[in-house]
Amino acid sequence: MLTCDTYRLPTSLKEALALWAGAPEGSRLVAGATDILPWAREGRAGDVHLPEMIDVSRVAELCGYEIADGRVRLGANVAYQQFLTDPVLRSHLPCMPYCAVWFADDQIREQATLAGNIVNASPAADGVPPVIAMNGDIEMARLEGGEVVTRAMPVAEFIMGPGRTKLAGNEIVTAVTLDSMQGYGGSFQKVGQRRSLVISAVCCAALVKTDASGEVFEDVRLALGGVGPVPMRLTDIEDMLRGKRIDRKLIAEASVGPADRVASRSRVAYRKAVVSGFVEAAIEDALVELGAPEPTPEQREAAHV
Amino acid sequence: MSDFEMELEVNGRKVRRRIEPGQRLLDFLRDDLNLTGTKEGCGAGECGTCSVFVDGKLVKSCLMPAAKAQGTKVETVEGLAKPGELTPVQRAFHKTGASQCGYCIPGMVMAATSALRENPDAGIDEIKERLGGNICRCTGYTKIFEAVELAREVIAGRLNPATLEADPAGESFIGNNVRRLDAPSKVSGRLRYAGDMVMPDMLHMQVLRSPHAHAKIRSIDTSAAEALDGVACVITCDDVPGEDGFGVFVHDQPVMARGKVRHVGEAVAAVAAEDIATARKALKLIRVDYEELPGLFDPEDAMQPGAPVIHDYAPDNIVKHIPVRKGDVEKGFAEADIIVEQTYETQQVEHAYLEPEAGIAYVDADDVVTVISPSQNITHHRHMLAHIIDRPINKVRFIMSPVGGGFGGKEDMIYQGMLALAAMKTHRPVKLVFTREESIIASAKRHPSRVTYRMGLKKNGRITAASFRMISDGGAYGMSTEGVMRKAAILSCGPYDIPNVQIDTYGVYTNNTPSGAFRTFGGMQAQFATESHLDICAEKLGLDPFEIRRINMMRDGAVTHTQQKLGSVSLARVLEAAEKASRWEAGPVGQRGPVRGDLGGEGTRQPCTLGSRIKSADGHNKEKVA
Repeated sequence: MLTCDTYRLPTSLKEALALWAGAPEGSRLVAGATDILPWAREGRAGDVHLPEMIDVSRVAELCGYEIADGRVRLGANVAYQQFLTDPVLRSHLPCMPYCAVWFADDQIREQATLAGNIVNASPAADGVPPVIAMNGDIEMARLEGGEVVTRAMPVAEFIMGPGRTKLAGNEIVTAVTLDSMQGYGGSFQKVGQRRSLVISAVCCAALVKTDASGEVFEDVRLALGGVGPVPMRLTDIEDMLRGKRIDRKLIAEASVGPADRVASRSRVAYRKAVVSGFVEAAIEDALVELGAPEPTPEQREAAHV
Repeated sequence: MSDFEMELEVNGRKVRRRIEPGQRLLDFLRDDLNLTGTKEGCGAGECGTCSVFVDGKLVKSCLMPAAKAQGTKVETVEGLAKPGELTPVQRAFHKTGASQCGYCIPGMVMAATSALRENPDAGIDEIKERLGGNICRCTGYTKIFEAVELAREVIAGRLNPATLEADPAGESFIGNNVRRLDAPSKVSGRLRYAGDMVMPDMLHMQVLRSPHAHAKIRSIDTSAAEALDGVACVITCDDVPGEDGFGVFVHDQPVMARGKVRHVGEAVAAVAAEDIATARKALKLIRVDYEELPGLFDPEDAMQPGAPVIHDYAPDNIVKHIPVRKGDVEKGFAEADIIVEQTYETQQVEHAYLEPEAGIAYVDADDVVTVISPSQNITHHRHMLAHIIDRPINKVRFIMSPVGGGFGGKEDMIYQGMLALAAMKTHRPVKLVFTREESIIASAKRHPSRVTYRMGLKKNGRITAASFRMISDGGAYGMSTEGVMRKAAILSCGPYDIPNVQIDTYGVYTNNTPSGAFRTFGGMQAQFATESHLDICAEKLGLDPFEIRRINMMRDGAVTHTQQKLGSVSLARVLEAAEKASRWEAGPVGQRGPVRGDLGGEGTRQPCTLGSRIKSADGHNKEKVA
């Protein structure tokens, strides 16, 4: 059961930062707030009393997104459902609709934010592999002498381990900035114990761009989640494919290596088996998004090494 | 704590309230506004029973701090239609029979409404996807999906609204669709389950549960809890005035732990206070001095000589042994060409009804102790409680509230006794609602079982003898174990005519969560063993799995191994229908070529995919680009 003394709903970043800096020890910052109530239950944190809850979902500066210079700057309040419903975001972040549709369920996606998913730093976070595949940076703000000061760093650096990030005590995440991937095909693979509302055992994000002929990999982005303490970008596999002729055998070969990188504490054999299948399927599904014919189950089986 | 000034619009009306700042939107709607059509099934965002619209977007109100809804427009199931009316979605749920226990249904109606508001042309895959955040346990999803598709067609004007009316009454109820009388109350959220009921001056109960599987209780000190402001009473087994003990067959379970605890989660003490938060605070002030005892977690360990004893009355830890004998098994095995032996295990299963246990007890002006709860066995509960509280039967009353799913899991009187005692001690109504976690830790489960099967067969597939030995984990208390062991024994060897049979089923005490009634009541565990065993025997004999069953099936006039003569037996027709429906490729296992021809095809459930809404939207985009 969660109780708190004061619930704040600041509407500007400066107000939010001032409240956060002055909040008593043990206060919590929330955005979508979808994780905090289940956390304060039997078997997890139990009964929790917070001095203050500061809800940033109405901070104007954190809402909406901007696209400029090949980068998409998502305000920290952008919720998962927007990746499915907003045609501009779908076009610039083509793997995110697939990631979002596997994330929790429709109700939770209306509230839960991508920034919150990153800050929670779960090794199984669905949103983080796509973000690192899109060279995601995270932006944080703090007050210094009454002025708002920001800094940014790659998300891959920001996440240090399960539940651990480089966010300082007085900071608020303000935005996540990603490469615009317009013209890429995107996909997302996920397996858990059921379809909705499930934590990934393994997930894999892919973004693929082909040359004008449609026969050569111009660029490939790949990242895995759920297979170790932090998500993994597969840069060597990306390099191996970039500039090569698209070929089912090549994709199958590229999918073999990543299995060895599974560093989970449990279900390692299972995860290894899933990883190579997922890398292959992620690349193929991204190509299908670009108009390639969907491989038949037999073709997938045959090419699988 | 500074109260939060809440101002919002709920179902079209302005609402202003001072609320507790950390409170959930779910509690605000249910407790402050008495809008109990919004249910709590899990409190963790898993089940969807609490779904409401906030500014037109469907959210889970158990995951939302109420303060987050400040200044918004909230719409609950009560606000979908005017009083006395139903929306096309609600009427479609009524029409297709998409409400059984009804507890998940308001949430399902909300999710269906949201799906059709977001995309009035949503296809079946998208409907399934958009209802993915909602769980149902008894209606089953098929009728719900049918209802959403029906509503979609009516709303779009492709079907006449008259389609939502009842079908004309046929000459017989059999073979005709009959609408449920109670469906309108369920689809509208008006039906009140025990957890939705309130009474003036009502207290709230919380329960202190054992952290140990097996421990002696040296002492319980409740003084600090009793001294806490807002606490009306603390009860323990010392408050039981009569003969303490309940159970479906053997009354071995005290209302609260007496002298020792036998499983993790067993009730040790309970607090009734002005509100839940105070009751929970008081629980933390109760001091229980335990002396841990060695625990038993496998029934076969519990059956060993010298094993720790869980109940003094049963020094061998056996709850019940049911032996059945027919013919001469040794002779039958001697006649067999092959003997096949195998062990089969099944696991503990939780009922997971959407409605967690809940109840209210009060003592009325005539001193009648009354308990309202979704009990599946009120008459028995009434008799047991009369003994426990030492009152004549006419001073004990049980009222059965609507059961939001039971499946056998609400047959045991695991909390009604505590409610009665607290009501008697305070003369105020007392309410208890289990959390989902509490429901899982404290309620009975399906018996885990281990069956050792030995079967003798002739080369032609005829069974000559079977021995069936089942060891079932009864957990810490007897509950329905005796009945489950009886039924498992009766159904053990399936609908097969076996001349020589030796059956032994054992229900055994352990320090696991108690096992109790669960749909099939022991039949499932036995059938899993029998049917698996027949498949293995068929494979060893080179027979088609259907064939071995036909050779051995009971026919009209057969006598079961418990000596019941069967006038008519439908098994032959059942096998035929199953064979046809599955497009069975006949032949012994392993002799039908590398690829089976009867997999997939019409009627086969396709694997789970997501993203149909992305594909349809992308289709639009591509057209535009072209």
